[in-house]
Amino acid sequence: MTTETASVLMDYIKNDLVRDRKAAISPDDDLLANGTIDSLGILQLVAFVDERLNLRIPDEDVTYENFRSANALATYLDSLK
Amino acid sequence: MTRRLLYLSGLAILAVILFHAAGIGFVAMFAWSHRYAPATADPGGSASYWALRGMEQVSVFSIPAFMFVSGYFTAFATGRSRHTLGWDAVGARIKYLLIPYTVWTLALFAFAFIQGRRPGLDGYLVMYLTGGASPAYYYVPLLIQLYLLAPFLIPVARNRPLLLLVVTGLIQIAVQLTYYPALLGATDPALLTLAGAIPKWLFITRIFWFCAGMTAGFHLSGFKSLLSRYKWVLASGALLLIPLGMIEWEILAAQHWPEWLAHHETFLDTLYSIGVIGSVLAFSDARLPLPGFMEDLGGKTYGIYLIHLPVMESTARAVYHFAPALLGYQLVLQPLVIAVGLAVPLGLMALVSRSPASRYYRYLFG
Repeated sequence: MTTETASVLMDYIKNDLVRDRKAAISPDDDLLANGTIDSLGILQLVAFVDERLNLRIPDEDVTYENFRSANALATYLDSLK
Repeated sequence: MTRRLLYLSGLAILAVILFHAAGIGFVAMFAWSHRYAPATADPGGSASYWALRGMEQVSVFSIPAFMFVSGYFTAFATGRSRHTLGWDAVGARIKYLLIPYTVWTLALFAFAFIQGRRPGLDGYLVMYLTGGASPAYYYVPLLIQLYLLAPFLIPVARNRPLLLLVVTGLIQIAVQLTYYPALLGATDPALLTLAGAIPKWLFITRIFWFCAGMTAGFHLSGFKSLLSRYKWVLASGALLLIPLGMIEWEILAAQHWPEWLAHHETFLDTLYSIGVIGSVLAFSDARLPLPGFMEDLGGKTYGIYLIHLPVMESTARAVYHFAPALLGYQLVLQPLVIAVGLAVPLGLMALVSRSPASRYYRYLFG
């Protein structure tokens, strides 16, 4: 399940946030340290998860630890299901 | 509430466009009136004047809102386990602020060069470092300074939030107090020249907002309960402060005209911004208009910010040269510059996004 969620997240990150389908980003990459996403990117990701995956992330859980990478976020999201 | 920050960003970029449209309206009203009105006409105090002042006053929360969101992000990026924000994250953030800023600054330099404005190497360097290529660009060096300070501010925000808010609040108020000597009856020219002498690109002018966002991020439950307790005070205060801010501005402008054509955040503007930002976040369960559109704008804030003003100014100049009669009709001029200021950046971003150049999107629009 985590792999499937990570794949959906990777598609969104590449197509909508980075806007480069061929971008060399792996599901374990630190999205903040390499500048893949910024402040608004995080907020867009929260909105995407809410809209498309129907999962509302509590404010207190919007943390670096949960959003560090696509895999980290997928693991967290699967724990919500 | 987190998602509401995206809405707030969208609202803030719309406010920036309104603010600059009002500024263009004032230029058309005062500096370009010879193109359409008799020399004796005085537009000050007209319905158009007050409408433009209203637009400007309502919009002053925009830069504080951007700073708040950026500060909130630093708290997020630090996480629970790290002592402070890593320099790798700071560097990455600055990189994606700096590259689009440099691209558009160089484009504006080239545009000015073609028009014969050539300030020399020193002039270009100063303009680049202070955001002088466009009146809106001071925001970028300002934000970069705050990101560079973030690793030092974060431990204080985490452990001594009240101290940080009080100190940075006092710094910002001290800056704003330089605007008020004339109001207090001072006649010393040295004191009067302090007004507006502190440049807008210097971090002390907006440090409170950045730290407020940072503190909110680290102390989320306390921040949310504060918002919940005072949400009606925040909302009604924001509404009340619109006319009060307009009155304050008229008094200040009367003392300093015409230097005061350039807007600076005043003490009442700060209170108003607290009211607006607080209300938008406090009523996070309330349904606000056009959520999808506003959140979409929120995600494109930086690109719109970099492009909107040069496009709006060019449109106004085209009107000046080719249809000067329109300058006298704010009901036509305002919708035109606002529509152009929003549509052109969005169109350009959509075009690049759907073209083979999409891989360079982030280098152009952040």
